[in-house]
Amino acid sequence: MPAPCYHADTPLIPAHYQPALVLEHARGLDLNSHVLLRHSGLFEEDFASEARALSPAQLLAMLANLAQHDAARDAAFQLGQQMLPGHYGAASLALMQSPDLGSALRLLVAHQAQLCPLLAPRLSIAGGEVSLDWFDSCGAGATKALLVDLHMTAVTAMCRWLGGEHLPWRYHFNRTRPRSPEHHQVHLGSALHFGEQTDSMRLDARWLDQPWPRGNARALALTQRELADTAGRRSLLQAVREQLFDTIRLPPTLEHTAQHFGVSPATLKRQLARHGTHFQALLDEVRTHVTLQLMQHGGLDHDAIASHLRFHDARSFRRAFQRWTGLGAASPCA
Amino acid sequence: MRPPLYTPLALLGTAALMTLALYATQGTAKPPAVWNWMDIIGEGGTALFAGVWLALILSSRPGGRVTTLLALGLGAITLGALADCLDEFWKIAPQAHWDHWLEGVLTPGGMLTLTVGLYFWRQEQFALNEHLLRRERLFREHRAFDRITQLANADYLRRQITLEQARAPDAPCALVLLDIDRFHLINREFGRAEGDRVLQALSHLLLLNLRNDDLLCRYAGDRFAVLLPETDDAAAQAIATTLRNAVEQLAWHTRSGARLALSARVVAAVADTSPGSLLDALNHAIEPAARRPGGALQAA
Repeated sequence: MPAPCYHADTPLIPAHYQPALVLEHARGLDLNSHVLLRHSGLFEEDFASEARALSPAQLLAMLANLAQHDAARDAAFQLGQQMLPGHYGAASLALMQSPDLGSALRLLVAHQAQLCPLLAPRLSIAGGEVSLDWFDSCGAGATKALLVDLHMTAVTAMCRWLGGEHLPWRYHFNRTRPRSPEHHQVHLGSALHFGEQTDSMRLDARWLDQPWPRGNARALALTQRELADTAGRRSLLQAVREQLFDTIRLPPTLEHTAQHFGVSPATLKRQLARHGTHFQALLDEVRTHVTLQLMQHGGLDHDAIASHLRFHDARSFRRAFQRWTGLGAASPCA
Repeated sequence: MRPPLYTPLALLGTAALMTLALYATQGTAKPPAVWNWMDIIGEGGTALFAGVWLALILSSRPGGRVTTLLALGLGAITLGALADCLDEFWKIAPQAHWDHWLEGVLTPGGMLTLTVGLYFWRQEQFALNEHLLRRERLFREHRAFDRITQLANADYLRRQITLEQARAPDAPCALVLLDIDRFHLINREFGRAEGDRVLQALSHLLLLNLRNDDLLCRYAGDRFAVLLPETDDAAAQAIATTLRNAVEQLAWHTRSGARLALSARVVAAVADTSPGSLLDALNHAIEPAARRPGGALQAA
């Protein structure tokens, strides 16, 4: 394994990074800091020290508290406007120096532990289309929708600022259409697709190498040398998912995956349970993604996908797909 | 400024205790067997609730003539009902008239004072409605108001469109959306506080350019919506252009003294479909061209 992965309780996020942004936003709403820090085990004094680091679970608790406040209905979108490139050390600097969209998105994925520790981005480019898929990093539970809005707004706003123009992103949300979609419309645009299987942002791949006016490839190379030690660090959940994506054709088992991480199956099970999930759920999630990609870009039929994913036959694959998504396997092909 | 709550409430408490003491010393206690529970609950409840209303009024209203009248009225009703209630526990000698005086003067007097207070409250509300002109229509919903601009939000707008369509099904009503160009740069370069100031200034500016029956809402972010009752398409387009020109004419200076040139995109349409699909269509139409999927690559 390259860099050790982090857990929901790893003290990873310096208090003056994302947490300070959330605190400042709450202050702007005249929200009392003890309301914001409730159940997080934090005190306002913690933010005075540059050395203090928060766990993802603590940052998550702050966001959940903020979301409960009536005046914070658009908090995800307001915070998203400022979240990236952010002021998170060399990783933010690297984003600022990105010469184009492609390099910015790759930096975001490589340095997710610094830039977006709560929600993991995964970049795939196939069939002339870029897809940036978002995955829960640390067991967000009910706060996941807020995180998705926050991170999609953050990437959209960052690209608009650094690239100097609006990009024609299309947004897919794995939830039903909200009754009040106005914040999505204003901050993301009108290409909103609710009720999808994934949380992803998509774009024509020709935008990837359009030069950005502030980009500086030479400076970026220097910054990336500084970042080499922490590149590739991700959450346990995302590390397991990546391993599943890599071994999806074996097919993966709990035993093999635990072995890859150098722990016993019981330990891995316990660690996943602490993040509110389990091995089969992650495997189903990854297989759903792979299936949708194969259907959209691979042009494969059910028999071919079933054999790719090591199902006995197309019928058992269709049954499984229906279980993962609630959809008949015919519909995504359409 | 709100007056301190405790002084009037302490006065009321003292008066209530004095009434109690008066009954306890001057009257002869009735045996519990003859207590009339219906009267006790009815009169005691009236006293209790009038006291609660008094506390709510005092804690929510600024001081002044209206507040004083409402407070005096509710205070007198509280004491009158209390005296009435204590009557059930103590028998007062028939030759003493003070108890009739307490009940007979306090309660009607309190009601009279309260009525006068409510009358002036109505006058006050008319004056306040002038301030809320073009910010609300037909009904009031305080939770719908945006904290920064004091304008109503998109939920309120959607309900207003439905109401307006139902109120005048034959007359066209129109909707205008207005979006500030490159607003995100103001937030990035000057901070969110400066962005909020711009939004406040723009909301005032737009209000000044609207008719009395129009409704201005903050749709979300830097996008405003205007509901124009009894307005056809041509008139709506003209109003949209006026609003866009007004934004362009504004000479905005940041706290640091920099001059910002503002501009806006506007779209307008007659509201002849459901609020949801109307807003979807207008929001699509107002987007900058490159952002739409399939939009052409353009130089920045």
